[in-house]
Amino acid sequence: MIVFEHVGKRYGGRFDALANLDFRVRRGEMLFLTGHSGAGKSSLLRLIMRLERPSRGRILVAGHDIDRLHPSQVPFYRRQIGVVFQDHQLLYDRSIFHNVALPLAIQGVEPRESARRVRAALDKVGLLHREKALPIELSGGEQQRVGIARAVVSKPALLLADEPTGNLDPQLSADIMALFEDFNRIGTTVMIASHDLALIARLHHRTLRLREGRLVGDQEAA
Amino acid sequence: MSRSPAPPPRGARTHRTRSSSRFRGWLRHHRAMALDSARRLLRTPIGSLVTMLAIAIALVLPAALWLTLDSARLLDAELTESATLTAYLAPGVDAGEAGRIEEALGAQPGVARTRLITAAEGMAEFQQALGLEDALARLDDNPLPASVVVTPEAPAPDAVRELAETLGALSGVEEVRLDMAWIERLRSLAELGQRVALALAVLFGGGVLLVVGNTIRLAVESRRKEIEVITLIGATHGFVRRPFLYSGAWYGLGGGLLAWALLTLGGEWLAAPVSALAASYGASFSLPRLGAGGSATLVGCSILLGWLGAWIAVSRHLAEVKPR
Repeated sequence: MIVFEHVGKRYGGRFDALANLDFRVRRGEMLFLTGHSGAGKSSLLRLIMRLERPSRGRILVAGHDIDRLHPSQVPFYRRQIGVVFQDHQLLYDRSIFHNVALPLAIQGVEPRESARRVRAALDKVGLLHREKALPIELSGGEQQRVGIARAVVSKPALLLADEPTGNLDPQLSADIMALFEDFNRIGTTVMIASHDLALIARLHHRTLRLREGRLVGDQEAA
Repeated sequence: MSRSPAPPPRGARTHRTRSSSRFRGWLRHHRAMALDSARRLLRTPIGSLVTMLAIAIALVLPAALWLTLDSARLLDAELTESATLTAYLAPGVDAGEAGRIEEALGAQPGVARTRLITAAEGMAEFQQALGLEDALARLDDNPLPASVVVTPEAPAPDAVRELAETLGALSGVEEVRLDMAWIERLRSLAELGQRVALALAVLFGGGVLLVVGNTIRLAVESRRKEIEVITLIGATHGFVRRPFLYSGAWYGLGGGLLAWALLTLGGEWLAAPVSALAASYGASFSLPRLGAGGSATLVGCSILLGWLGAWIAVSRHLAEVKPR
């Protein structure tokens, strides 16, 4: 699903945020990306989302060298990836329902079909009863679940999450991780950047460890 | 000829439904964004009105000038049509002789019509036109010569000038005056006016772009977060631009309609004094009006400028958020 070939990312001509990354992620796999803040987890995810381009090497996603995508193709590439952000990135001027419907609106999905899929996604994260609420009326954990519903509503083949449990207590974090495992069980490739080592250790998935932009560990699922 | 096996119909049909549903989705988004941007404009009515007024004011001046020039062109055509020569007869030519000379002039090739104005008639016309009856009545002698107004067959300036030379050589004709000089003067004035109007239209059109561009830039700024999020989840530039382009077009529409209203009101307001002024010159001249075509052009240009201003503003923002 994802292939990194000697990928490096250098900022400002001197600082190497990522250096010589070489790994593959199989389709349908679930894995964690760990490391201290500043180790390059977010940069790596940004490269996969093609928010940034590598300074060296090649990144293949679903067989395509994403650096060679024409700018006009990038939006269509991003639609195949669901992304969950630490700060949710919800729009506070519209309801939960409309937040989750956003990816479908962008893809021009017919409203009735869209409503059906939005409700299915909200049901999956346990927030169907809050569809008319505004994000501000929800707790941090609930907002994160809305973010997850939005990431999965268009049934992406790849789900990326950047510190999805960053501000949540252990019980909520475990619930969120369980949700990701559910999506992984139905075939979605899931990649989660997190520094919550205790939680990761309990979940027994493959773990890539980054330190100062280098891959220092690749521990297969136990 | 052998027939190749037909492709499975299902695939083709599926494809057609998919692309047509995508097209319907696209249309739906257009409709939704048109309504949404109109609602956003109405949410801040005063601010929207100010923007539209600024557009309207910028459009009124070049439009008014263009209208005036348009009527000058009509006037020009009419004047060229009625271009005449005046042959002043030698002083002392009596009425009988004047009649004979008129006939001689009328017999010349290229002459359509002639009209004799005797010295007395000339005086009467002069008095009426200038309103100097009292002053002229005090003159003992009539200083005006008899004259023949000649209407040429062809109004082309060169042909008229040639005819004037021929007529001037006839005996009993003192001088032939072409009534063309001031038509040409009017024409070069109109030409000058046209260029001024064009320059003004370009300048004020640029002004409209700036007004709309600045308003949309602020709107983009206030929705920066939303643009970021939808770009992250795969919105195309077209999708991001769409609501702003509709806002620009709405501003343009509002501005165009206001400009139209201002022009119409201004026309009404000026109509009475203009016709009074024209009447004092013994002419009937009414202010030109924007016809259906002119109104459509004005509003259409305004919408286009609004849309273009929005396009420039959003594109500049999109260029800023490109991935490195």
